[in-house]
Amino acid sequence: MNSLDLWELRQQLDAAKILICFNGPLSQSIIEQLGLAVKRYLEAETLDEGRLYDVFAVYIEQSQNIQNYNARKAAEGVPGVVWRYDAATIAIGRADAEHYLVTSGNPVARADLPALTGMLDALAGLDAEGLKTRFREQRRKPRSEGMVNAGLGLIDMARKSSRPLEYQVRDMDEHTAYFHLIAVI
Amino acid sequence: MQSYEKAPTVSTPWVKLDLERGRIDLVGDSYPVNSFEFYQPIVQWLNEFLTQSRQAVHVELELTYVNTGSIKSMLELFDLLEEAYQAGRAVTVLWKYDSRNKRALESAEEFSEDVSFPFTTQDTFIP
Repeated sequence: MNSLDLWELRQQLDAAKILICFNGPLSQSIIEQLGLAVKRYLEAETLDEGRLYDVFAVYIEQSQNIQNYNARKAAEGVPGVVWRYDAATIAIGRADAEHYLVTSGNPVARADLPALTGMLDALAGLDAEGLKTRFREQRRKPRSEGMVNAGLGLIDMARKSSRPLEYQVRDMDEHTAYFHLIAVI
Repeated sequence: MQSYEKAPTVSTPWVKLDLERGRIDLVGDSYPVNSFEFYQPIVQWLNEFLTQSRQAVHVELELTYVNTGSIKSMLELFDLLEEAYQAGRAVTVLWKYDSRNKRALESAEEFSEDVSFPFTTQDTFIP
């Protein structure tokens, strides 16, 4: 018998104040439908439309970054890939009484990690004005440069978050790591 | 070259490109996963319009949420408009927003800082 205990999983999600959680391969329609659910939920509980769209935007940028990364890896035709890079875990919930949490995890090729974590570390040191400047520079970079769009998404998330973006990296196998991104809005 | 209209979806705006009036309308949310693919026909249409006609161009945008990919494509549109404006073309952009969303005006301002043609914002919220 399968050992997954949904009741236990549910209790864990409740304890972490998670409102919506998804695990599996992402598609545009899943991203859209989860997004609508997030919007409806926030509409019911906050009157501040700006904040609603901040949470929504961070959710969209996180999930689309994962989807675009998967498309890029598929185009590269990486040999011997066992993991689906779009096999994502996404959770939206409350960080505390005043803040929301948008967090996601997905497999990332180890070779791609330094650029990603390097950018996040650099962003963590910037204030609002610095992030704005970075955003304006990045949006002018040609799309052909590998991580330009993903980078723009990260800066946008950082601008909408109330504290620096955090991440965790865990080993999956010798070529792949599980990358976990945490944004508090 | 002809006018073009595209119905909105959950993640893409209503698009109307009017050849007779020299007018572009985008209304709704804009977060297609491949924004480049979605905006390419619009960029191309504007490019052709600017090459083939000397007519004035008016753009009206009423976008609730614009993802970062769409922002890049929007910049391409604005760059074309700016170039045409510098070359003597009449260009106007009207950005409609809902003032209940504090981010809406901010994103409009981040675009208008980059252009010199008339860029007006209009609050659509009626208290």
